[in-house]
Parts: sequence; structure tokens; C-alpha cells
Amino acid sequence: MNTLQIQRAGIASSVQDSGRFGMLQMGIPPAGAMDWCALISGQRQLGHLQDEAAIEVAYGDFVASPIEDCHIVVTGAPVSLSIDHKPVSHASVHAVAGGQTLSMKTAAEGVYSYLHISGGIAVTPQFASRSTSPREGVGGLNGGYLKNGDVLPIGEASSSGGRADPQLITVRTRETLWLRFVPGFQYAELSETAIKSLLQSDYVVTPKANRMGVTLTGATIETGIHTLLSEATCHGAIQIPPDGKPIILLNDRQTVGGYPKPGAVIRSDCLRLAQARPGQKVRFAVCSPEEADRIQWLEQHYLETRLR
Amino acid sequence: MTCEVGPAGESAMRLIFSAPPKPALTHKLLAIQESAQQYFSETLIDSVIGYTTLTLFFTPFKFERDRAEAWLLAQADNPMPETPEPGAGTVQPVILPVLYHPSVAPDLEWLADITGLSVDDVIRLHCEQTYFAYATGFAPGFCYLGNLDSRLMTPRLDTPRAKVPAGAVAIADSQTAIYPCDSPGGWRLIGACPERLFTLDSTPPSRLSVGDFVRFEPISEADFHSMSRRS
Repeated sequence: MNTLQIQRAGIASSVQDSGRFGMLQMGIPPAGAMDWCALISGQRQLGHLQDEAAIEVAYGDFVASPIEDCHIVVTGAPVSLSIDHKPVSHASVHAVAGGQTLSMKTAAEGVYSYLHISGGIAVTPQFASRSTSPREGVGGLNGGYLKNGDVLPIGEASSSGGRADPQLITVRTRETLWLRFVPGFQYAELSETAIKSLLQSDYVVTPKANRMGVTLTGATIETGIHTLLSEATCHGAIQIPPDGKPIILLNDRQTVGGYPKPGAVIRSDCLRLAQARPGQKVRFAVCSPEEADRIQWLEQHYLETRLR
Repeated sequence: MTCEVGPAGESAMRLIFSAPPKPALTHKLLAIQESAQQYFSETLIDSVIGYTTLTLFFTPFKFERDRAEAWLLAQADNPMPETPEPGAGTVQPVILPVLYHPSVAPDLEWLADITGLSVDDVIRLHCEQTYFAYATGFAPGFCYLGNLDSRLMTPRLDTPRAKVPAGAVAIADSQTAIYPCDSPGGWRLIGACPERLFTLDSTPPSRLSVGDFVRFEPISEADFHSMSRRS
């Protein structure tokens, strides 16, 4: 069986597929690739049809060698990619010989990159997914982030790949990133001032951003809500802790929480937010559930057409 | 009892009752959750019960918002189910052993001081109550248990501890809980339970679930250590 020997794991690299479902009641978050478009893109390029797992690398800093010949592709945030110290294009499928060294280094944009290897990362699925949920110790390799010296099993490569590159996202720090959200939860109970702060001020992505969520800074939101009974959170939920700085909850979020939430950012904008670096300016805008459906529908259609 | 149904993001719906949490309401939420799993079997991917809420998570695109909303409102109109009394018939409370000792409970003596009770009274009051599991979440196997005797009610720590060890028995406001795994936490720690509350390869992995009744039983240090070794 092919394996990948990791020489440098980087700061927060983990095995991810599209995540696990049905475990929220148990307190286990969905996990899964932060940039699911990048995940799907790589899967299709290598002919992976079974949601094969990839290695998610944050701020690309990763060095590893497969012991057998294989194909690889890197998707998501662009990286400087080299094979045995020879720079190669970061956006295409490469044949790698057993023993060669792959090296990824962070580039100017984005956060999460995905290293896909033909056959997929074949760690044992837990609760029907290979995605790592590090806080819970579920999935991935021993439930945690990857470490130097780890050895990952690689699955049997089956079919030949496509050539599609359906990645939807580009994030440029200079432009404002709009976070469209579906109002809900405590939206109707928030004061007019709180809603005004939320809708009319600029916010900035802080360094306090990880797979659990992204903390923003900007106008403080005084919710006026002091006690709230714990209830389910959801992907993209805008959580406002007592300090008034919103946190957008993402894949590794707490499944239940007791902070006020005026709504949830739509998936498509969450993806861009996940890839945004600290300093990125963001604004909130209200979006009806029907509009959110329409946006998702169009993006899905776009993905599917590009993948054909 | 009034209720509302609204979106929880683009592919989930949340039903909330504007009534104080109580076991009968939780049983109603459990009953609606079970019917939802039948009724929306094709499209429902997850569901979570909170103190007064039920949130249903659907497959994007295959989810008919209006239908889900109308169905939830109709369910909410159904009468409340009878809540079984703890100890009656088949409903046995889950009994969990707890060591109440300063060596494993950094806030035990503090709690006695601030409430003006003796440590023995604190232990007695914590053990006398039969608790009800209102919600699970926060961390795998973490179960929100109520209601704590009002004499033991305290606010959370201003700054949460970076690491609370697995098994820590904690209180906050009118709730009590056991931390199933090492995690950060802002609740006050008054004891330690030697049993595992969450085991990944057990079915189900979590010892406690919503709707359970729970009681705590004080144990000696010697018992705590021998039980810890076994689990």
C-alpha cells in the first residue's frame, strides 16, 4: 500500500473530506474541508468519485514524500509547489515518483490549500467520514492535526482524472467581502442600534480565525440580551459574545451555544471568509432565505457545468 | 404555549417555544424530532434539541422551506406528552459516582464559603436532586443537566480555565454537568466522576442523552481511584 511520509506538517494540516453529518446531536461538529469547492475540484481532477479525503494545509507549509508513484494536485489557496526542489505549476496534476519530495509554501492569497493524492488519504473513516475534528479527537489520523513524521495511508488509485478547475473563489484583501446572511435566531430581539451597527459598519477579519470560526473586529454590537438558553448553532451563524465582536461559526464550531445570533452567513460567503486573511474588510448584508437558495443553486450549476 | 418557526441559516429550520424549560417540553421536542426523522426521512440530515428549541438541518436544494415550516407549526400544536416521573416504571435515573474532594474539585471549598454552607451540605444538596438532561452539545457527550438547588447557584468564571480535565463535575447558574473530555471551561468545578461519559467506539458513544434523569452518588477517594483505573 502506498503511504505518504510527512517531513514537515505545518501549523494546522489535517485530513479532510466533505465532512460528517448526523452527529450534531452527539456534540460532534461536521468538520470537512473549509473550502469545499477546492476539495471537489481536486477530487474531480484526480477522478475521485467517492469523496476521497485530501490534506488541508493552512498557510501552505508542508513537505512530504509518497513511497510509490502517484498523481497529485493542489487546489484552494495558491501555493509555491515544488517536486524535488524543482518549482512546478501549482494548478495542474503532476505525476510524482515514489521517494520524490513534494514541498508546498504559502503564497500571497488565501489560507487553505488542499493536497490531493491519487487514491485519496485512506485513514479509517469514523462516523462515515475521514474528516479530522481535532478538538473531539475524531477522524483523520488519530483524531488530530498532522505532525512531522506522520505516515498517511494512500488508497488504491482507480480511474483517470478530468481536467476541470471549478474553483469559485478568489479573495482579494483590498476589496470588501460581503457577508450575506439569512436573519433568524435572535434577530427580532436585537435593538435597532445593534442592527444598525451590524449592517452599517465595516468589520475586519482578525488573526483569531480557525476551523471553528472567524472573529471580526469593528463596531461593538450591544445585543441587550444577557441570558439565553443554549440552542443549536449552524454553519455561518453570527455569534455575538459579551464583548460585542461577532464570530462567524464554521466547520468545527460548537454544536450548541448560548450567545445571541442575529442570523447565519450563507455558505458561499462563508467559503470566501474562510479563505480571507487577517485585515480583510467585510460588511454584512441581509439576504432572504429564497435569495440564499438562488445563489446556492446558481453556484452549484456553475460548478457542475465546469466539472463536465 | 406560543412558538415560532424561523430559519437557522439557509438550510435549517428552528422551532422555539416561549416557555420556561421543563421535562414535559423536552419530551415534546423529542417527540417532534422523532416524527421529523420519519416525515422528512429523505431530506433531514441532522437535528438538535436545545432547552426550548428543536433545529432541523436539511439537505440543501432538497428542502422545501414552506412545507417544513407548516409541518413544524402543526406539530407544535399537538398536546404535550406525559412526562414520566424519575424512578417510575422503566424510567430509571442514570447514577453517576462522584468524588467531592478539594484534590479534584478546585472550587468546592470556595463554593462552601460563598454560599455559607458546609462542604458536606454542598455535597448533600448536589446529590439530593434528580437532574434532567435538557440538551447535549458544546463538546461530545456534554450534557446540560438541570435544575440545581437554588442554594448552589453561582455565576461562571469571568475567565474560563484553559483546561478542565475529563470527568470534572461542574456547576453554573442553575445547571450542572460533567466535562466528558479535557476542554476549556468556565463552570465551577466541585467534583470528579471516574466513569467515562463519551467513548468513540461504543454504541451510542455518549453515556447520557437528552431526556435522561441523572443522580450523583458520593464516593470515597479509594473508590474513585479504583474506578478510574477500571474505566
